[in-house]
Amino acid sequence: MNTSTEKIEPPATKLRVLQVEDNPLDVELVQRELRRAGFDFTAAVVQTRDEFICQVQAQCPHIVLADYNLPQWRGMEALAILTHENVDVPLILVTGALGEVTAVECLKKGVTDYVLKGALARLPVAMHRALREKKLRDQRKEAEESLARKVEELARSNQELEQFAYIASHDLQEPLRMVASYTQLLGERYRGKLDETADKYIGYAVEGAQRMQTLIQDLLAFSRAGRKEPAKADADSNAVVKDALLNLTASIQESGAIVVCDDLPVVAADRLQLGQLLQNLIGNAIKFRKEHAPTISVKAEAAGDFWQFSVSDNGIGISAEHGEAIFSVFHRLHTRTEYPGNGIGLSICRKIVERYGGKIWVESTPGEGSTFKFTLPAGAGQAKGASA
Amino acid sequence: MQGVQEVLLVDDNPADISLAQEALAECKRQSNRQIKISSVVDGEQAVAFLFRRGKYANQVRPNLVILDLNLPKKDGRAVLKELKSDPELCRIPVVIFSTSQANNDIVRSYQLGANCYVSKPVSLKSYFATLQSIEAFWFGLASLPQEGE
Repeated sequence: MNTSTEKIEPPATKLRVLQVEDNPLDVELVQRELRRAGFDFTAAVVQTRDEFICQVQAQCPHIVLADYNLPQWRGMEALAILTHENVDVPLILVTGALGEVTAVECLKKGVTDYVLKGALARLPVAMHRALREKKLRDQRKEAEESLARKVEELARSNQELEQFAYIASHDLQEPLRMVASYTQLLGERYRGKLDETADKYIGYAVEGAQRMQTLIQDLLAFSRAGRKEPAKADADSNAVVKDALLNLTASIQESGAIVVCDDLPVVAADRLQLGQLLQNLIGNAIKFRKEHAPTISVKAEAAGDFWQFSVSDNGIGISAEHGEAIFSVFHRLHTRTEYPGNGIGLSICRKIVERYGGKIWVESTPGEGSTFKFTLPAGAGQAKGASA
Repeated sequence: MQGVQEVLLVDDNPADISLAQEALAECKRQSNRQIKISSVVDGEQAVAFLFRRGKYANQVRPNLVILDLNLPKKDGRAVLKELKSDPELCRIPVVIFSTSQANNDIVRSYQLGANCYVSKPVSLKSYFATLQSIEAFWFGLASLPQEGE
């Protein structure tokens, strides 16, 4: 694409007019009209197809004024050439006679306007309008291009950030493993051999290192959730939820939780990622319980090409103001002593869901419970709306 | 009862070597097997040690090699390849002991003839338990070729 033609020339630049005309008198008449209207312009005149192509390529005209009927070719061919050359230049037909039907046809094909030679006084108006429209088109195109560039930049910087998070957390693991291992070893080998303060300090160091290890592992899981390509195969949510509950056995038993699962659909998502998602949500429902044993239900209903899942509990709930923030990384509403955790679980959930084009949100009444809802695309061969 | 079991640890991190020595010392106490641990910190040293070159000319051949993958000078994979290409040395069992859990590292290691691949555990407890398992398997359960036969 020739970018110079897309630029909006400052007013100081002369308007470059390309006339496609075989009649010298008409050429002169048109130019006189333009001068009269105050256009500051230079004009090139061509008669043949080859001359036209040559001029379009070399001069990058701002506007083309073409006769409809020429001895060797037709003005409409000029339009075809402009399209072919991918040059966005307004073309006005300046012609002796043009029936209404033909005129409409030409306009449909992309001619900007047409002016009859007998009414050349209208030409300046037509030209002003054509140039104004072209300017707007250029501005819109530029805005669109700049937006596309920004989107691309954002995607790239996001990707870089993820890469960074992955590498950083991966490489941090090694030295941290040493710190954690040796402080632990110190704690084991030298407990009671130094003094009480030393034991306490070693305890703090061990705890800090271990917490950092969990944090790094969670961060790694978070960045992996974004790196992993969505699976081609579908996942049966029933089997996945069963595995998730198996992994949660300890906390289910400890809390006395009752988990009720409906018949769940097959979705177009990676089995492991779906498992992580459900396990995080069910795990949260158990964790953020009230005094009594929690009751949790997992359901799904059809929503167009998607399934809408819901994980409901009768736990402590979340006030509406936190409804969105809880899905961002490291966002915690409680102290670690109240409820342990890093604030990464829900951000992993969101990342997984969004990876498949779905959405995740929470509906909650504080003190009564929360329902986390998310959507995932239906698996192949699943009839739409065939809810169980 | 076999004699002294010679283990060669190849790891560029002295802290990791100490940790493995600590763990294996614990194994010794528990299993009553005699284990002698040698260690080298890069791939070139590892090859020299195994082929008894230079200052390692009088070394006893180890009964087990515990090999890290990412090593300076000569990569763990290259060491493994050299070792497994040698008609004599190829019979020494090699345990790859690396933090990498990447499938291609695991596949590549087995392709090159690793006898097993073990990921370095993150927590101290499982690190000790893992080395105990390695020791128990190779020196307790598995039958190893006797040197010099």
